[in-house]
Amino acid sequence: MIRSFADMDKLASEKGPKRLVVLAPEDEEFMMAVRKSAEAGYTQPILIGDREKMERLAGQVQYDISGTEKIYEKSRQAIADLGISMLFSGEVDIAGKGQIPTAYIYRAIIREESKAGKGKVVSVISMWDIEGLDHLTCFTDTGVNIAPDFRAKAEILRNAVFLFHLLGYPRPKICVLSGKREINGDIPSYQDYLELKKAAATGDLDSCEVMGATSFLDIFRPGEKNFRLDGIDIGKADFPHIMLVPNLATGNILVKLDFALKNVRRRSLVMSSRGPVIIPSRSDFQDSILGEIAAGVTVAEQIKGGTAS
Amino acid sequence: MMTSFDQIRKEAMAKGKKRLVVAPVTAGTDFSVLSAAMAEGLVFPVLIGEGKAVASWINREKIQAAHVEIIEEPDSAKALALAIDLMKKDGAEILVRGAMDPKRFLDAVLDKEKGLLKERVASLVSVFDPPGVDRVTMATDTYINSFPSIVEKVTITENVIRLARVLGFISPKIAALSAIEQVNPAIPSTLDAAILSKMAERGQFGDVTLEGPLDIDCAVSRRAATRKGVHSTVTGQGDIYLLPNVEAGILMAELSVFIGKTPMACALMGVSRPVVLNLPFVPAENRLTEIELAVLLCGRL
Repeated sequence: MIRSFADMDKLASEKGPKRLVVLAPEDEEFMMAVRKSAEAGYTQPILIGDREKMERLAGQVQYDISGTEKIYEKSRQAIADLGISMLFSGEVDIAGKGQIPTAYIYRAIIREESKAGKGKVVSVISMWDIEGLDHLTCFTDTGVNIAPDFRAKAEILRNAVFLFHLLGYPRPKICVLSGKREINGDIPSYQDYLELKKAAATGDLDSCEVMGATSFLDIFRPGEKNFRLDGIDIGKADFPHIMLVPNLATGNILVKLDFALKNVRRRSLVMSSRGPVIIPSRSDFQDSILGEIAAGVTVAEQIKGGTAS
Repeated sequence: MMTSFDQIRKEAMAKGKKRLVVAPVTAGTDFSVLSAAMAEGLVFPVLIGEGKAVASWINREKIQAAHVEIIEEPDSAKALALAIDLMKKDGAEILVRGAMDPKRFLDAVLDKEKGLLKERVASLVSVFDPPGVDRVTMATDTYINSFPSIVEKVTITENVIRLARVLGFISPKIAALSAIEQVNPAIPSTLDAAILSKMAERGQFGDVTLEGPLDIDCAVSRRAATRKGVHSTVTGQGDIYLLPNVEAGILMAELSVFIGKTPMACALMGVSRPVVLNLPFVPAENRLTEIELAVLLCGRL
């Protein structure tokens, strides 16, 4: 079982290098992360992007790319299409987003999924490694679907359940997050929770469990009247593996609170039917990007070798 | 501006005793916060409800009869109606939710005719005392309005600015949050944030700087914002975060409390008198801070 990002880093260095196609590594932080991932033995990168920019940036971060496979292309959509088609054809194990609008990558993935006859809903899974928690957790969908309906939410959950199975969690626990509270009645996300709970009970979401909690208050303070800050113990809470967010704005705001909270780290990817596509935030720095690459390597390895034990 | 909850406590203690009404009071009422508020000399309590429940507390804490007023009214709804009347007509200054569920309590308190609603909508502000930050910060609406319209968001913004001024923020920096920092017509909350930002630019909120849409990384980290090409005095320096809907609001507040272990106290705004809601997601340690915030709001709403 992959319990932490440290586990991922270890596995990436042991089981690497994996073939990583990098879509437009056209800024310093990103190029540096690619360099570090190659040096750490995580990846054997293939770079697609603007020749002049890639060469200049590689020079700036002292990354010798003379022996690295490169494909020169300026059009953003063409870069996305080519890289994602390489993932789907099996030429590479992982795709990674550089300086390309995320929508272009999603579009390319959706196209390839429909060609492959899968027609999956594309969703972003943002994993969190929380200090004191003995397993990984994630928020989803934090990137694609603005206001998913019940059907889309079920698909989003299937993607995340698939990922957690790969990471060695045979029956991940799901918390369907909602803004339901004592006032204003049931809101749509709570109705979705009730339906998803039923769907999970019939096995419709594959092996998983939808918990009774729909908020952090429910998770941390089941039944008690009052709680104290100094009594909160994350390690002792029945903390979910997967947190389904009600909508994109909520997901984005929650998952990027790692910028404010000191005890949390984040790694995001899209689980396509043919392998991981890592999606660093445009505001992420090289160490975060390197970590996301390690997550991609881990997932690619698990797909190849079955689930982690 | 208030640098911490400690400073809020000191300023509140300097204000003199306020007449605070708790309603309804029943056998299940927890008086511990009230005891602490009395010990700090913040309040003179008026308790409306089951007199017997009060008596056992008074005996236990050895409170002098002259330091508390008790009004017998065993019917919860009547006790609350009486409390609201005292607030409107008889100089009671702070209302605290007693043993009644938040829905029934708020339905009465926010009734347009009989209640205490003053603005177009009421809204809840979560005030945080984040470790390592040199001031308190605010997020809103974290409870009342589920999916506010832009009209309601304007009032929610005015409500939080009023609280910020009471807390000494002369020119608060406000981040209107959404999923992304670009205006995208497919994501309505980015449009709302852009409208609020434009209104602020035209001076419609007075002396504030309001930037939006911002995503949370740009709002809390200047370095991240710079990397995304967002340049604003608000990035990394926000005093107030406007949330696009209640799901983002309440969940963000809870995440900050439970994972970030950030102290948090709430204030109800948009009402004519301070009201303490005693909501379940407020840590026990910070319930006294809610009374102190209410003390500071007396006469300023």
